[in-house]
Amino acid sequence: MKSYDVIVIGGGVIGTSTAYQLAKKGYDVAILEQNDIASGTASRTDGATLISDKQPGIDVLQGYHSVELYKKIAKEFSYDIEFKSCGFMYVCETDAEMAAAEDYAAKVRAQGFEMRVIDSKEMCEREKYLAKDLKGGLWTESDGLVNPYKVCFGFIEQGKKYGLDVYTHHEVTGIKLDARNQIEGVITDRGNFITNKVVNACGVWAPFIGRMVGINIPIEPRKGMLLVSEKTDIIANTEVIEFGYWLAKFFVDFKRPVSELVEKHNVCMNIETTHSGNTIVGGCRLFRGYDIRSEHEIIQAIAERAIRFFPVLRDINCIRTFGGIRPFCLDQLPIVSAVEEVPGFYIAAGHEGDGIALAPITGLLMSQLIAGEKTDFDIAELSWARFKGIDLAKLSARAS
Amino acid sequence: MVNKEIVVVGAGPAGLAAAIEAAKAGGEVLVADLNILPGGQLFKQIHKFFGSSAHRSGTRGIEIGRQLLAEAEKYGVEIWLNSAVIGLYDDRVVSIEKGLNSGEKELINIKAEKIILATGASENVVRFKGWTLPGVMGAGAAQTMINVNRVKPGNKVVMLGSGNVGLIVSYQLMQAGCDVVALVEAAPNIGGYGVHASKIRRAGVPVYTRHTIIEAKGTDRVKEVIIAELDDSWQPIAGTEKVLEADVVTLAAGLKPISDLARLHDLEMVYNGVFGGWVPKHDENMESTQSGIYVAGDTTGVEEANTALEEGRLAGIAAAESLGYIAEKDAKERKDDTWKRLDGLRMGPFGEKRMYAKNEILACFPARS
Repeated sequence: MKSYDVIVIGGGVIGTSTAYQLAKKGYDVAILEQNDIASGTASRTDGATLISDKQPGIDVLQGYHSVELYKKIAKEFSYDIEFKSCGFMYVCETDAEMAAAEDYAAKVRAQGFEMRVIDSKEMCEREKYLAKDLKGGLWTESDGLVNPYKVCFGFIEQGKKYGLDVYTHHEVTGIKLDARNQIEGVITDRGNFITNKVVNACGVWAPFIGRMVGINIPIEPRKGMLLVSEKTDIIANTEVIEFGYWLAKFFVDFKRPVSELVEKHNVCMNIETTHSGNTIVGGCRLFRGYDIRSEHEIIQAIAERAIRFFPVLRDINCIRTFGGIRPFCLDQLPIVSAVEEVPGFYIAAGHEGDGIALAPITGLLMSQLIAGEKTDFDIAELSWARFKGIDLAKLSARAS
Repeated sequence: MVNKEIVVVGAGPAGLAAAIEAAKAGGEVLVADLNILPGGQLFKQIHKFFGSSAHRSGTRGIEIGRQLLAEAEKYGVEIWLNSAVIGLYDDRVVSIEKGLNSGEKELINIKAEKIILATGASENVVRFKGWTLPGVMGAGAAQTMINVNRVKPGNKVVMLGSGNVGLIVSYQLMQAGCDVVALVEAAPNIGGYGVHASKIRRAGVPVYTRHTIIEAKGTDRVKEVIIAELDDSWQPIAGTEKVLEADVVTLAAGLKPISDLARLHDLEMVYNGVFGGWVPKHDENMESTQSGIYVAGDTTGVEEANTALEEGRLAGIAAAESLGYIAEKDAKERKDDTWKRLDGLRMGPFGEKRMYAKNEILACFPARS
């Protein structure tokens, strides 16, 4: 039977990052993945790596460190992850949004990060296809884009140089615990593994692994959808998001002047250009269980909203749509933590829409936790212990 | 949202036959097709069909197409052309990008009670150096050019593949005034019917069996084609290269079912080599693993226009029956008759393996809950 220092369950962006960091530290590490590398949420997403779509506080702090790590990785890895530091723009449609945006930018700056208020004129200089009637926006220079698949493959390729083993098409069916509830091994449909440390990096599927050790992880799938255009001249130079997206993410009751269809599905515009020259537009946040199928009303609503901000899209063909599910966590912060009641069990999951952006820092923090080192910054807010006293059984029933 | 009883995707032989049967029984039927003409591949089939008189042997494909369209019109089938079905969604919602007379497109969502997928097949390509040069095309594409669009694809043609499509299209290219400079076949023998092969041979077309194309050369279009002999492990033998002067390469390397819509909508699929690839599982009513969604014709496995017609009939009868337009006993008789004709078409040295393949597909159909 194979034996490892640490087994990482999940071959998505969080699992591959964590495994890479652990292997780099000298641990004997394996990834167990039920399908293939980057076959879940990491394969159904855009590639935004932003600090600017977070709440001030630990959220922005993680975002900042992660983007810094991406810059380093992009230079260091032999595998090209298509990192591009293109900058990021929030656009505001109404005065109310603009006021909220200014307030938000002030808080981000107070924390020591750059974020500038810009007017419609500067916005249109940066994005020539942007609608001319917007109120203004926010600009962050350092945010960027990656190719999410290639980030996963990059971590794997780099990790293999430090001896990382990867077992795809190995579905974890159980976790062995000893009499003191300490991790002893992992059972899969294709054989068992010995280890006393397991990292649950299964994103939306993390609750299933949690139940194997008797804990209820408060993560639920939150669906998104994206539309892909044909290749054209570049429509968006930067990552552009309507500020209503941020407001809708954190303040569900925020109302925008939008059509019934857009309102009904909580659709907000985000746009980016892929490395190959296709435009990707989104998005939405919906609870639909594990169903990732495209929905025709949402496709229409996303198209309508995208055309509102980039009218030129009206004349461009959509060639593909797809849906994916984000690991939404109860308090909208990821869990990056040991689980005290199950010694040797760690969770790195629940990043909702920030998995791609936060993968580098999550992997690094997790490797520091496992090594018993001091983490780069205080992550008590990301700990499992924060859910003590909350009835998680009831919540996690929804995710099953 | 518009409501329709039956939406048929594809106006080829299977789709039209399904639409006619369902409309004849009293159903309200809409057929959507992304092409600007209905009939699928029938209108380029200027040759006479094989088979018994029950299967319109001796009739040309183009004539069968005309008959089907006349029948469809007679029974009030609505046909939307230049209209691509771009998605299937929950509760049998069909998204159609409808082509308007103005040239614009309009997105229309239709709530259908029954959906029949008859999306046909697409040509396989063969990759060799220079295969993306203008002048390299599917044999079916060349056939459409000469027989439907009346455009010569070029003057000197190298045909790769000697199945029936390769043989028939070679002959029709000559009828259209092209010079077929070589028929190239990787296998040791010609693949298609002797009667078609004889026509080619009588016309003096050089046939190169155990040969393949190594390269198509040219700057802005094909000018030369290099072929070479193959050894027993299908590898080119060095030194056997021949240079042929040609401006067109047509590829007749088989077809594969177009099953994108079926896969998009999570119909259960099964792989079948005889039928050309992944096909949706279906029962004897041609109903897929999702209730109310039927499949017919080449999308369920590449065969011929005759089998597509009969499968379309089955799907049309079954859909009309489930909507209450045909009594169970009557429907059973008609479906049994259709199956007898299908069995007849799947016999003999060329057809038998398709009967076994179809039986395998029927046998793997899961019990519907």
